[in-house]
Amino acid sequence: MEELILTLKEQIIDALNLEEITPEDIENDAPLFGDGLGLDSIDALELIVILDRFYGIKLANPAEGKAIFKNVATIADYVAKNRTK
Amino acid sequence: MNETISVTGLGIICSIGNDAATVLDSLKKGESGIRSMKYLQSKHKELPVGEVQLSNEEMKAILGISDPKPMSRTTLMGAIAIRQALEQAGISDLKGKRVALISGTTVGGMDLTEMYYEQMKTDDSLLYLPQSNECGKSTEEMAELTGLENAEICTISTACSSALNSIILGSEMLKRNEVDLVIAGGSEALSRFHLNGFNTLMILDKERCRPFDATRAGLNLGEGAAFVVLERDSDKSLAYISGYGNRCDAFHQTASSENGEGAYLAMRDALEMASLQPEDIQYVNAHGTGTPNNDISESQSLKRIFGDKMPEVSSTKSFTGHTTSASGSIETVICILAMQNRFTPANLGWKNHEEGAIVPTLGNADINIENVICNSFGFGGNDSSLILSMNKPESTCSAGDDYDIGIIADELITSADDLKELKEFISPMESRRMGKLQKAAHLSSLRAMKAAGTDCPDAIITATSRGMLEISMQFLEDIAANDEELLKPTLFMQSTHNTLSSAIAIRAKCHGYNTTYSQGDDSFRWAMRDAERLIKTGKAVTVLVGSYDESTATFSEFAERAGKEAPQAIYARSIVLTRK
Repeated sequence: MEELILTLKEQIIDALNLEEITPEDIENDAPLFGDGLGLDSIDALELIVILDRFYGIKLANPAEGKAIFKNVATIADYVAKNRTK
Repeated sequence: MNETISVTGLGIICSIGNDAATVLDSLKKGESGIRSMKYLQSKHKELPVGEVQLSNEEMKAILGISDPKPMSRTTLMGAIAIRQALEQAGISDLKGKRVALISGTTVGGMDLTEMYYEQMKTDDSLLYLPQSNECGKSTEEMAELTGLENAEICTISTACSSALNSIILGSEMLKRNEVDLVIAGGSEALSRFHLNGFNTLMILDKERCRPFDATRAGLNLGEGAAFVVLERDSDKSLAYISGYGNRCDAFHQTASSENGEGAYLAMRDALEMASLQPEDIQYVNAHGTGTPNNDISESQSLKRIFGDKMPEVSSTKSFTGHTTSASGSIETVICILAMQNRFTPANLGWKNHEEGAIVPTLGNADINIENVICNSFGFGGNDSSLILSMNKPESTCSAGDDYDIGIIADELITSADDLKELKEFISPMESRRMGKLQKAAHLSSLRAMKAAGTDCPDAIITATSRGMLEISMQFLEDIAANDEELLKPTLFMQSTHNTLSSAIAIRAKCHGYNTTYSQGDDSFRWAMRDAERLIKTGKAVTVLVGSYDESTATFSEFAERAGKEAPQAIYARSIVLTRK
């Protein structure tokens, strides 16, 4: 799980072009949206592409992302349970 | 001057008909043009679209073109609509007349660029195509096909409100007596580029769209063109342009604000110019894309204008699909047909009311319509509204006084090295999605505004001939490399030419007039002319004008192989003009 979490953080930093942020800066259970890291709806769409590209998970409705993308730990949990690659 | 602006001719081609008579018939019968994909070459066949039911070859035959070289559908559809409009207006001799052709487009010749991009890298005979990828080129080609080569030619690119802004510009030019005759509208072909782009934003419905319905799940893309002939106070008016407003929502690049501020302000400006009250409006042709966000935001803006006395409202995108940059003129023509034939078109597919959303009309076969509002909104919150009237308006907005103009700031960036200094104004987190050109435009604008001592100019006007080239070409290459899958919304959302103007407005929270000119080397001249017009007529005191363009290695190579000078890698000039 630790390895998956680190990989996810690196994938998020790369896909969202978070220039001055390192994986250590993102706490596993800190909110990604709103007051936390400050991501928005377009970033959420990029996260959907990450799930599809690296883990073979297709979300049909962006609204499904809300619970999954709460923090890195919730994403890792969802990926571990639903990944097809 | 107190001039009324008459519409004396109209032309239209879209998925529900190749001329006005057929479009009218489809509207009255309630027959949608949204069908399975037939002409567009995309693997996403699951997405229904509103295609013009003609191949490029059939359109060429209609226009009498025998040259076999590939031509953009944007050009072909536009030329067909312009010819219809000129014919209806009875215009054959343009001698001695000052004429302007103003077209709105964003896709331009992208339908060809995406088809031949790889071949262009080796085949010199296709090197005319990179140029036709520029929005302005398609308008020049339309002019050549319709006998308008001596007209002033202008292209506006404010994404989905482009065509409505073309009609607004044409009306202003007539009021200021800059021209005698205007042909204004827009044209946009479907492309794999923007179909995939909207798909990354997850706002395309796999079923037919249902604007304003509680179960709506997005839009269907369409294509088409429509143009109107505008003249000063003609005795053969089909309708009058009695008011308009152009505002910026200044909220988000791809979403509308909760209370529909930009839309509200645009409608309010239009009513004020027309000297009309909300109760004088009998029909609103809504922007109504069918996305959850647009329709609730637009509903809120309509409620703020009309309260509980809502006129009949429908979105005819349920017939045509969302024809993006052409939608403003296509829906203007539909409004005129509705007024002339005393009916309101249905909002097809609506069944379920959503709390907070308006209840659209399912069509009214007998209604007297004197005034209509046509709404047209674009990415970045480029929101415009137009009021059309059957009766001659008592007075339109006066052209105003002739104020003097001065330039109080002028900032230039021509090196990517300078972009590091953007941190002075914007954090890396805030600029994480910005491409090179957007960074340069922000840096020069913010410097110019600082030098001018203004946080929020009254208007923001941008000139760009190729727009967001680097980002767009990256998206285009990804489409080919990934076979239309796994594409980045970040690239598409900033690919439209109006990204620069609207992103600066979002940062400055500037809800004022906002537009983007894309007419090759003439873009800057058009932008400055508009800024001067705004200040002279008292509509703005301070205007930010930007001239922004970039090139990529591949594009510069295309230019060099075609024997032309390669464009500068980066160019961003921002000027603040003010009333003296």
